[in-house]
Amino acid sequence: MLQLVVGQLLNGVIIGTLYGIIALGVTLTFGITGIVNFALGAFMAIGAYLSWFFTDMMGMAYPISILLAILVTAACGFAADQTLFRFTRNNLINGLIVSIGLISVIQSALLLVWTTTPKNMHYVLPGILNFGWFIVPKMKMVVFGVLMAVILMTYSALTRTWAGRAAYAFAQAPEAAMLMGVRTRLLQTGVVVYSTALAGLGGALYASLYSLEVSMGSSYILKGVEAAILAGIGSVMGALAGGIVLGVAEAVGSIFLPAAYRDVYGLVFLVLILLFRPSGLFGPGR
Amino acid sequence: MKRLAWLLLFAVPLLVHDEVVLTILVFTYILGMLAVSFNLIFGYTGQLSMFHAAAFGVGAYVTELAMTHLGVSFWVGMLLAALFVEGISLVVGSICFRFKLREFYFAVVTLAFSEMVRLVVLNWNSVTNGSLGINLTTKPTIWIPTQGLIPVEGTRMWYYLSLVALMAMVVTCTRIVHSWMGRCFAAIRLNDGLANALGIDVFRYQLVSFLVGNAGAAIAGALYAYYLGYIEPGYLSIDQSLAIVAMVLLGGRASMIGPIIGALILTALPHIINFSAELRVMIYGLILILTILVMPKGIVGTLAALRAAPAAAGSYAKRSDVL
Amino acid sequence: MFFEAQNLTKRFGGITAVSDLSFSIEREEIVAIFGPNGSGKTTLLSLIAGVVRPTAGILIWKSRRLEGRPPHEIAAAGIVKTFQNPQLFAELSVTQHVMIAAHLRLQRQLGVRRIKTLFRADGGSAELADRVDHVLRLCRLTELRDEPAVSLSYGAEKMLGVAMALMCEPELLLLDEPATGLGQEEIRNLDGVLRDLRDHGTTLCVIDHRVGFLGRLADRAIAMHHGSKLAEGAPGDVLRDAGVVEAYLGRPHA
Repeated sequence: MLQLVVGQLLNGVIIGTLYGIIALGVTLTFGITGIVNFALGAFMAIGAYLSWFFTDMMGMAYPISILLAILVTAACGFAADQTLFRFTRNNLINGLIVSIGLISVIQSALLLVWTTTPKNMHYVLPGILNFGWFIVPKMKMVVFGVLMAVILMTYSALTRTWAGRAAYAFAQAPEAAMLMGVRTRLLQTGVVVYSTALAGLGGALYASLYSLEVSMGSSYILKGVEAAILAGIGSVMGALAGGIVLGVAEAVGSIFLPAAYRDVYGLVFLVLILLFRPSGLFGPGR
Repeated sequence: MKRLAWLLLFAVPLLVHDEVVLTILVFTYILGMLAVSFNLIFGYTGQLSMFHAAAFGVGAYVTELAMTHLGVSFWVGMLLAALFVEGISLVVGSICFRFKLREFYFAVVTLAFSEMVRLVVLNWNSVTNGSLGINLTTKPTIWIPTQGLIPVEGTRMWYYLSLVALMAMVVTCTRIVHSWMGRCFAAIRLNDGLANALGIDVFRYQLVSFLVGNAGAAIAGALYAYYLGYIEPGYLSIDQSLAIVAMVLLGGRASMIGPIIGALILTALPHIINFSAELRVMIYGLILILTILVMPKGIVGTLAALRAAPAAAGSYAKRSDVL
Repeated sequence: MFFEAQNLTKRFGGITAVSDLSFSIEREEIVAIFGPNGSGKTTLLSLIAGVVRPTAGILIWKSRRLEGRPPHEIAAAGIVKTFQNPQLFAELSVTQHVMIAAHLRLQRQLGVRRIKTLFRADGGSAELADRVDHVLRLCRLTELRDEPAVSLSYGAEKMLGVAMALMCEPELLLLDEPATGLGQEEIRNLDGVLRDLRDHGTTLCVIDHRVGFLGRLADRAIAMHHGSKLAEGAPGDVLRDAGVVEAYLGRPHA
């Protein structure tokens, strides 16, 4: 029994990092551009399809495919920023609608190119790791490791580099940052591009584990937003923690209660947090 | 002038015989009810509720369940559905407004509740038949003076039924909006701190607008389901909630008729654009994007702004295009 | 006892804005509260009006305990406050602002029966329209009645705040710096309006910087400093009180 619980917990943690990477994109975008980019799920799908395409259809080595997928996704993010998000800074509702429209555009584009047939990447890293009572596919561990590394790198980049601290400053006090010479437009575009790159990475890694279909991103963006809010929008490590908390809440809930309602447990948890601690688990206190 | 336009609508089925056009109009009227009721909460009281699709779907399901398990007529079933939805809305609304959730957080929490309800509907197979949905074979019946109780079938009958229902809803909402309660809603939307200071119980009126709006959605749900003949969990999906928001934004949230125009456009669009399904979805997305960037007030709002004198524009209590 | 505050205290984190303050207000008085910025005057009014909850202390209004009650309840009980920085409903006209403020009145007159009025064509009753005209005239806003509130001058915005408060038919009206930003003539008008109100039975509690204006208007004054009461009494006496002078102006050099 304990095995089961711990096993589920660890699974929850691993999937939580996937939620976390999207949550990170959400929280960065909100902190710097003032909107929630719901299309991040669709960008995740782009990254997933591209990495599948490069690996299975073009025969490239998987790591190269991932990099290429990220680059292309980021380029799409840049295009989206310049044509759309640039006009919806700090306007939540407009940003919401625009990103929703973008989801339709991206998903239908993916459908046009690759049709509705689910895509399955061949096993890039077959085999499992056996920790006695906890068995996990090697690929999952790799995904976990890569995502953790990227999130941690983002965190230290934000806190240690000039660009990162400029971003923090801007999130706290936009006008002051502008007066101090922070190139705000560059910063905002940069954040949008970076968050789509993160989503692309998440998708590219997702492709090695699961079957792909065009709407794969929709539940992830929802979970990503949940996780970001859970942790408190604006907190980078919080995004990771929020994702993990959500993943664990879902996993644990599924042990004792019907698994079909998996998503509900996370939602209930989210609502409770929002009611009693609206700034999130790690946000500035009330 | 406006009355004339409404009267003309009654004449349409006599002049137009194209089934497709009439069908589009029926869906427009029913979805128009959905959008107008949503706008009461969103456009007039300023709360972005993502719970509307849930109210819509639950209204449909409960009507069917009442008719099947309790043997009541469609109308009683619809009433029971509305009451049931009101019960849920009371709980959800009380929680949200008691905790004073703002804008974005309100949207997220209502979305969370909506998803919870959808998941219950999706998984409670014994009652709702899960993802397979329910095929509706019974029909609503109405009493006609010379013919007695007859079933509502055929596009023409549905046309008149839905038109009357829409008008009833528009009249009700207009009355509310033009009354002291409408002033409370506007006050809450524009500056709830000031409204509070002036003695308006913000919590109470937020809840009232939420309840009235959701009741409208439930009724629309019942009508939609029985017209379409099929209910499935997709009624409660996020896509449906977003479509409602899209209708209101497209048409304009500052008037009663804006949401109806938005419903018309989004309903008619797939028929006008005769491309593949994917391309249609893409164009839908592009229209959404273009509208919000170029015409944030929606079609009706933008037209009104172009016509009105600068000083008088934008006041809710004096809107001339509210019917 | 009409209105009484006992041992009112408000702390915001490490800052004590109001400290163990007790005072009372009699019927149909005009009480002035003086004090430099940061002395806690605005917080005091916010405490009374229910905008913030006291950390300690009680508020008694006509034998009812009011602390912890939400603003709309306190307004309904008869205590209404204006805002230091005028609060408006963007998009709406001056008249519409006053109409919204009529809600309390409607609630008092009709109670639950007001639901019936929802389904009658609303133009508002003639009586309501008269009342609105009356309030607008009192506050010298009649010419501006159809203007969008956002286009008003600062002074007019303040008067609109007063007009809305009046529409709520308060028994105790709290005014937060009503004269700030007003020109000489507007101040004279305000003075007249306030005296008129008092003569017709409304009790006033006013804070402002314009010592002269308040000094002439008020029956009684309270001087605040760092959240506590420094002195209390007739305005002239308070303003000449040695402690007050030292606190506000400092000690003369030897």
